Amino acid sequence: MLRLIGKSLWNRRGTAMLTVFSIMVSVMLLLGVEQIRKSIRSSFASAVSGTDLIVGARGGSLQLLLYSVFRIGNAPNNLSWESYEAFRKDPRVRWTIPLSLGDSHRGFRVLGTTPEYFQHFRYGRRQRLRLAEGQVFRQAFDTVLGAEVARKLGYRLSEKIVIAHGTGSTSFLQHEDRPFTVVGILAPTGTPVDQTVHVSLEGIEAMHLDWESGVPPMEGEALSQDEVLRHNLEPEAITAFLVGLRSRIQAFQLQRDVNTYSEEPLSAILPGATLQELWELLRVAETGLRVISGFVVLAGLLGMLTALLAGLNERRREMAILRSVGAGPGTVSVLLIGEAGLLTLIGVASGTALLYAVLYAVRPLLSEQLGLFLPLEAPGALEGVLLSSVFCCGVLIGGLPAWRAYRQSLADGMIIRL
Amino acid sequence: MAPPVLHLQHVHFRWPGGTRDLLHLPEFVLESGERVFLQGPSGSGKSTLLSLVGGILLAHSGSVEVLGQDLSLLSSSRRDAFRVAHLGFLFQLFNLLPYLSMTENVLLPLRFSRKRAERVGSSGTWIPEAERLLQALGLGEPLRNNRPVTELSVGQQQRVAAARALIGRPELIIADEPTSALDADAREDFLELLFRESGASGSALLFVSHDADLGLHFDRQLSLAELNHAASASGGPC
Repeated sequence: MLRLIGKSLWNRRGTAMLTVFSIMVSVMLLLGVEQIRKSIRSSFASAVSGTDLIVGARGGSLQLLLYSVFRIGNAPNNLSWESYEAFRKDPRVRWTIPLSLGDSHRGFRVLGTTPEYFQHFRYGRRQRLRLAEGQVFRQAFDTVLGAEVARKLGYRLSEKIVIAHGTGSTSFLQHEDRPFTVVGILAPTGTPVDQTVHVSLEGIEAMHLDWESGVPPMEGEALSQDEVLRHNLEPEAITAFLVGLRSRIQAFQLQRDVNTYSEEPLSAILPGATLQELWELLRVAETGLRVISGFVVLAGLLGMLTALLAGLNERRREMAILRSVGAGPGTVSVLLIGEAGLLTLIGVASGTALLYAVLYAVRPLLSEQLGLFLPLEAPGALEGVLLSSVFCCGVLIGGLPAWRAYRQSLADGMIIRL
Repeated sequence: MAPPVLHLQHVHFRWPGGTRDLLHLPEFVLESGERVFLQGPSGSGKSTLLSLVGGILLAHSGSVEVLGQDLSLLSSSRRDAFRVAHLGFLFQLFNLLPYLSMTENVLLPLRFSRKRAERVGSSGTWIPEAERLLQALGLGEPLRNNRPVTELSVGQQQRVAAARALIGRPELIIADEPTSALDADAREDFLELLFRESGASGSALLFVSHDADLGLHFDRQLSLAELNHAASASGGPC
């Protein structure tokens, strides 16, 4: 029976291939939306872990999460070093990581921080940062590069780089007079860390020393690198800081203390809770995409229905011959359902295969351009449900021409109508 | 004594909702191994009669017995099975599935009927038997070259269809204008081969055609117009 279906389909392979193609493309879209949705989520969710609170200047919690962890957008304000010191010394706090943002290097964000960053920062499943080469920064003009920065710009250890003021990739104001030396390169993490140039807080200060309100000093008036290092490089302000607590239970308490801090308007967020807010925000878009891809699959299947119904008339002869050699009308309709099932199955299988091939191919591009790390997971339970429901819909849709063929072959019998 | 291959008694047939009988056959008997020619112009109810014999249509009243089995007593799926087990069909044109090879076309009835298959033997003997029939019907050359059925001439296609009707030695072969698309020489050849092979397998032959000239070759010639009282009573439809 399967052989008969196969040969009959092969005989009409032109139409059959188009049908398979339309199902394939629609299945690709359906799965692709799902894959990208999942990888966006996991890529966001894995960007920070083990951090109990993030503290920044008063503002939206989503905004704080986005600029502090994902390097998206800018901080509305800085917070003072005194405030940071106050919370750093709080007995409930186990560790803090100060973050100072606002500069860039050839499109990559520059993060000013302390060696604590390499000690306490966790991503993914509580993994710590690992150096692929070199060491963490010790001096003001040392820098540690994220894996992607080093790879894309082709930097090696002990190379000198110049940092630009502001976050545009083609900033006019370069801190040319004070270049940094690459002392370490981090192993890839699949998070925004890969896209970051890490320097010490002192480095950030040193870079901006003797700049007046964002404008570099006149030529000849600039301090030399050695002179800069002799200055007190303790920063006056940072952008945000991450907090690890001795006990997670104290997170809410400390969050309240930060939010009601009298010296300065500050905000503290729990990263997990704020991520949830982000998901809520994205849910509408996700649902929209899902509905659209669902309709595209429906369109693909309706295309198959059209092809099957249109072919039915031409295939009356085939049906009549089969009837004359003993096939019942039931067999004839099973033949059609089988055909629909086979077409859908091939479409689903090739769509899935092609999607993975495409994802595999565009993976480097996505991680470079969007910082999106596609984990290329095997289809999960949800995909299984989606794919099998597409298959079931295909077979169900095959029921309509099968029923027509049943009626037709009952009426025609073995008589061949030309 | 064995029952006749085909026995029709007082058969009335009208289309559902129709007011007049299309067919009324008081009696028609076809004995085992007999070759009968049934002549009738198109539209005289030939196809309807063949559908009744094949059990695709059921008589309004009266009985249609094939090998002593009243077809109206069988369920529709049993009728399908019964039809392929005991009858071989041969049509006017386009008898073959274009996507199957010659041999595969011939083997089709065996795939749908265990009875026909058993009469050929174990599945290992199917292909040799199909090839033997094709050889006997003069298709040795296209068979050797494994020609697709779409490349065969009409006469060759009809001979493949004949092999399919003959395989597994059904008791009755029903041929509906199988020669109307052939030229005169091919027609004679085809009939000769059909007679030889149906004789060899002991099958009876019911041959329906509008062309009365062919009737001379048969044991018995009948005219549907004479058999069908419905048609004569009303002056015959078209």
